[in-house]
Amino acid sequence: MIPKKMVVIIGVIILIAANIIALSVTSRRHASFGSGRIALSFAAPFQKAVTRSIRFARGLWRHYFLTVSVAQESYKYKEAFGLAQQQNNQLGELKLTNVRLRSLLDFKKTMTNQVLAAEAIGKDPSQWYKTIIIDKGRDEGVAKGMAVVVPEGIVGQVMGVSAHYSKVLLIIDPNSAVDALAQRTRARGVIKGVSSGRCLFKYVLRKHDVGVGDRVVSSGMDGVFPKGLAVGHVAGVIRRSSGIFQEVTVTPFVDFEKLEEVLVVLSPPKH
Amino acid sequence: MTYFLYIGTFVLLLIFQTTIMPYFLLFDRFYDLLAPFVIYLGLFRSTRESIPTIIVFGFIMDNLSGGPLGLYLTTYLWLFAGVKLVITILRVRDNVLLPFVVAAGVLLENIIFMGTITMFESGSRFSQADFSTVAVQVLWALGTGPIFLILFNYLHQRWDQYFKEMFSPQKG
Repeated sequence: MIPKKMVVIIGVIILIAANIIALSVTSRRHASFGSGRIALSFAAPFQKAVTRSIRFARGLWRHYFLTVSVAQESYKYKEAFGLAQQQNNQLGELKLTNVRLRSLLDFKKTMTNQVLAAEAIGKDPSQWYKTIIIDKGRDEGVAKGMAVVVPEGIVGQVMGVSAHYSKVLLIIDPNSAVDALAQRTRARGVIKGVSSGRCLFKYVLRKHDVGVGDRVVSSGMDGVFPKGLAVGHVAGVIRRSSGIFQEVTVTPFVDFEKLEEVLVVLSPPKH
Repeated sequence: MTYFLYIGTFVLLLIFQTTIMPYFLLFDRFYDLLAPFVIYLGLFRSTRESIPTIIVFGFIMDNLSGGPLGLYLTTYLWLFAGVKLVITILRVRDNVLLPFVVAAGVLLENIIFMGTITMFESGSRFSQADFSTVAVQVLWALGTGPIFLILFNYLHQRWDQYFKEMFSPQKG
């Protein structure tokens, strides 16, 4: 009788041989059976899903890093853009300052009086009074009563002085008074401030011809402001049936809200 | 030490009011920032401590303004006296009433200023724009006044606490 162990060995050899023969047959024919299609139809969707998920995750990972790097670059560009914009603004501001200072310099050349340039550094704390603080004072030659002007016209006069700063009473302040005349007709009067930011051309005789749009200039008779400096233009005229004066409203040429640099007239006007 | 806090606060308010605020159109018709400060002194601080502060600050304001010398000083003293009077009648330290106290203070300040202009400047007239300015200031005070009072009070408490801890004897 054949031992059991021998039977197992022979069985294994037969299986190996049959496997080799089968492999040899299938490798030559490239046969495709129906079961292959079924398996493919079953497995492929999963494979596809998993593959896509992996690709998506990989893409996401790559995109994340890409986004981070783009974001970093974007920050860098934004920073550079902000800096450029800031520089552009500074240049624009410098350009405007240059224009202002040039105009002030040109005006300074036309003035026969000795003048000193100063910067407005503060405004009156009250809404009811109109003064500014400038950065030049006694040590720079500024004294109480001196006229303060800009190329557009008269600003006001110095009402208080310290060593390096002065307080200037604007012509729109109710306490201010400037001897003036209408340039066209030479009608004389006094420019007084009113709290609304306009001026009144007071004490102009009714018989004098003053019309809307007329330029009003300083007369130089008050001993403070040089003659011929622009004050403003006539905005309204009321001639009442009674009284010897007419009511004339004047809009100043100077924009007092935007005062930055001014000129202090150091020498008094010549009569 | 309290006076150093007052000086610091005053300088900040003054700079803000006269130098920074004019650049913003929004604050074109804002009220005097020292008014809530004086009201704060009246509401929360002693008369002995407040009077010298008000005199000094009022005097400085007078020198910076184009108004008659003493106008700010007297206005602040009247404002302070008014607040001291009001707190004897009403319990105004409650947050609910604070906006009205500041608004009333700002209104009083404007009335004093307008009265002074009327009295001392011949031929002075007030336009509709002037009354509108007063109305806008009162509205600003109603909206923002209590914030200042609460801030001043908070700052003062923190200031006192800081120096109390600094100068108290070490424990343990």
